Amino acid sequence: MTKESAQGAAEEEQQAQSKKGLKKQQKEAEKAAKKAEKQAKVAAEQQSAEEDDFAKDRYGVSALVQSQQKLDRTLVRVQDLTPEKADQLIWLRARVHTSRAKGKQCFLVLRQQQFNVQALVAVGDRASKQMVKFAANITKESIVDVEAMVRKVEQKIESCTQQDVELHVEKIFVISQAEARLPLQLEDAVRPDGEGEEEGRATVNQDTRLDNRVIDLRTTTSQAVFRLQSGVCQLFRDTLTKKGFVEIQTPKIISAASEGGANVFTVSYFKTSAYLAQSPQLYKQMCICADFDKVFCVGPVFRAEDSNTHRHLTEFVGLDIEMAFNYHYHEVIESITDTMVQIFKGLRDNFQTEIQTVNKQFPSEPFKFLEPTLRLEYTEGVAMLREAGVEMGDEDDLSTPNEKLLGRLVKEKYDTDFYVLDKYPLAVRPFYTMPDPHNPKYSNSYDMFMRGEEILSGAQRVHDAQLLTERAQHHQIDLEKIKSYIDSFRYGAPPHAGGGIGLERVCMLYLGLHNVRQTSMFPRDPKRLTP
Amino acid sequence: MPMYQNGEVDPAVKALEARQDEILRKLYELKAAVEGLAKTVTTPDADLDLTVSSSLSSQSSTAVFTGTTDLDALLGKDLGALRDIVINANPAQPPLTLLVLHRLLCQRYRVLSTVHVHSSVSSVPPQLLSCLGPRHPDSHSRHMFQLGFTLIWKDVPKLQMKFSVRNMCPIDGEANVARFLFKLLAPYPSDPALATLVDSWVDAAFFQLAQGSSEERAAALRDLGSALGRSAWLSGPDLSLADVACYCCVLQSGSAPSAPASVRRWIKSCENLGCFSHAKTLLL
Repeated sequence: MTKESAQGAAEEEQQAQSKKGLKKQQKEAEKAAKKAEKQAKVAAEQQSAEEDDFAKDRYGVSALVQSQQKLDRTLVRVQDLTPEKADQLIWLRARVHTSRAKGKQCFLVLRQQQFNVQALVAVGDRASKQMVKFAANITKESIVDVEAMVRKVEQKIESCTQQDVELHVEKIFVISQAEARLPLQLEDAVRPDGEGEEEGRATVNQDTRLDNRVIDLRTTTSQAVFRLQSGVCQLFRDTLTKKGFVEIQTPKIISAASEGGANVFTVSYFKTSAYLAQSPQLYKQMCICADFDKVFCVGPVFRAEDSNTHRHLTEFVGLDIEMAFNYHYHEVIESITDTMVQIFKGLRDNFQTEIQTVNKQFPSEPFKFLEPTLRLEYTEGVAMLREAGVEMGDEDDLSTPNEKLLGRLVKEKYDTDFYVLDKYPLAVRPFYTMPDPHNPKYSNSYDMFMRGEEILSGAQRVHDAQLLTERAQHHQIDLEKIKSYIDSFRYGAPPHAGGGIGLERVCMLYLGLHNVRQTSMFPRDPKRLTP
Repeated sequence: MPMYQNGEVDPAVKALEARQDEILRKLYELKAAVEGLAKTVTTPDADLDLTVSSSLSSQSSTAVFTGTTDLDALLGKDLGALRDIVINANPAQPPLTLLVLHRLLCQRYRVLSTVHVHSSVSSVPPQLLSCLGPRHPDSHSRHMFQLGFTLIWKDVPKLQMKFSVRNMCPIDGEANVARFLFKLLAPYPSDPALATLVDSWVDAAFFQLAQGSSEERAAALRDLGSALGRSAWLSGPDLSLADVACYCCVLQSGSAPSAPASVRRWIKSCENLGCFSHAKTLLL
């Protein structure tokens, strides 16, 4: 290759490069011009928008509510938004459940507890383009104050609880802004188990729910569960109060374990140690000896059992009953079962909405019961199990699978989800259980079952100090440790019986749920101490 | 009256005497019962003197139902628990037949009777809650009874009986349950013709007398009249399920006043038996 030719080639290259460079430059210039144009346009638009936004005062983020002013404004509840309210201008505070913008319109679903309603922000003489944009950008779960006109709709809105009306928003202010990212989506948390898998959508597992309990508790299902639970408590109190019971409060920090020391929590108590109460058993009985006649108690109970099952918690709410009777402990069984039946009836008659809400996510058959409650004897239960092919001894305790099987057999024959099994073998019951006068192998004790799972364990207690001592010795219990307990019966004690129910279990089984953590607001189990 | 009161008499003689006394006593009772029966059947309007009627009603189970009392043979091996018969009935249609049969069962066995209301029904009239009579004083210990009779007022389209859920399907229909219960009291007639006759009367009672149209009902009443013209009870000389079923259905349909004379006489005869009169009070 010669120098010239090489030079020429380089020149050519240069020329070509400069040509390319020119083109490039040109293009870039064009781009820049366009960009500038665009920017100018946007700026102009923005400027004009800012200038034109006639609805500026109708939306925005409110100042922190620090109780600066006391507005004379009535906030309507979402559940009250019915066709009767049509064409009224109302104020409302709710959460933004979902928002969906579509051109000049933005649809919001506003939620308040388990109720929700559709709201619409549309460009018009009341709302500007900017307002619609603002509404569309409000993060989910933010709390907003809305002024809106209630309008009837022609087609029912199937996705909302308020199906007959929608809201035409005139003002919208954010009271509390939620962070954009939620740890779980509410829609995912209420999706029935089977559905998510079919559509390939997410469901939220129990641990995620419990870790983010505050958000999970906002779901319609949780709202319904805990409203119903409150109902159970109230019905329990009301029914017993009507029957002449007295509500008592008992200490939860105790000096000695009441039912065997194995499953109690020990706490340090100044220079010594104490226990957390497994049940108010002792105190209930002491109240009976102190002439309170019929007592009940609602409060926390602690079990240090290291069992991670669907129905065990380490702390739960106990509903405890103790009652003096005249001649037969069945007087007490009847009183307790009647209380339960009143609770079931009260739930059936007053909590239908809640029951149906829970059923949407966790379908189950309605809870069935008989009035008066069915009472079977232990021997009958054993006979039914043997007929079904279960091999068990006369005095064996019921295993959990056998309990469930018996529940199914009873349901099949009597069509009830609630029954009493009476006359348990003495050997499987605690020392303070009264023996059966006709057959010393059996005892005056009973369990109550809901959907085949035990919810109450109770018995006639030994109210005679002498017999109590004998029974304790038979169970090889150190008499020194229970001295104060036995002593309470030395100065005249009426015959009495009682039992205790777990509130969470009752709710779980009434609703046919599968895990007791679903009915405990902040569940405590061997592996969970937070939130 | 024993004639020798000193202890010297041969025990065999004493036993013989006791047997003779017993036989004589039974004969007298039988005579009284037969007389009473004759009176009720032939002159239903006559007021029975109390001793006869009470001996009659207490005897009716032994006199009329001379079947086996062995429930083991009838219902299978005793598993050491109460044999509980569960009946689901709709309070809109109280099963009168079964209530009559319940009375008869109580005369024969130690029956634990309980009435429940199922959660599918919101309210039940008080007379239906007490339709099985007052609570037995021993009802707190279920194992002391031979038979359980558990009546559940429930929202069911058709009366239903559940007994041994493992081996028996639920029995539907009041007529079929009645047949089952009656067999616990007395075996069906061994004569197949007679047994079929009883069955056909039971069918006529439920399908024609109780549920039939007015023409069907009238026809059934005419049949009833002619049958009762020939014998005291529907299937011959003894009270049978045919009588219980027809009586209750006639009562329930309210067609008693327009019935032929022979039917009205038979109704009176039924009502003279204690167990029937009770059913009438339950009609709403």
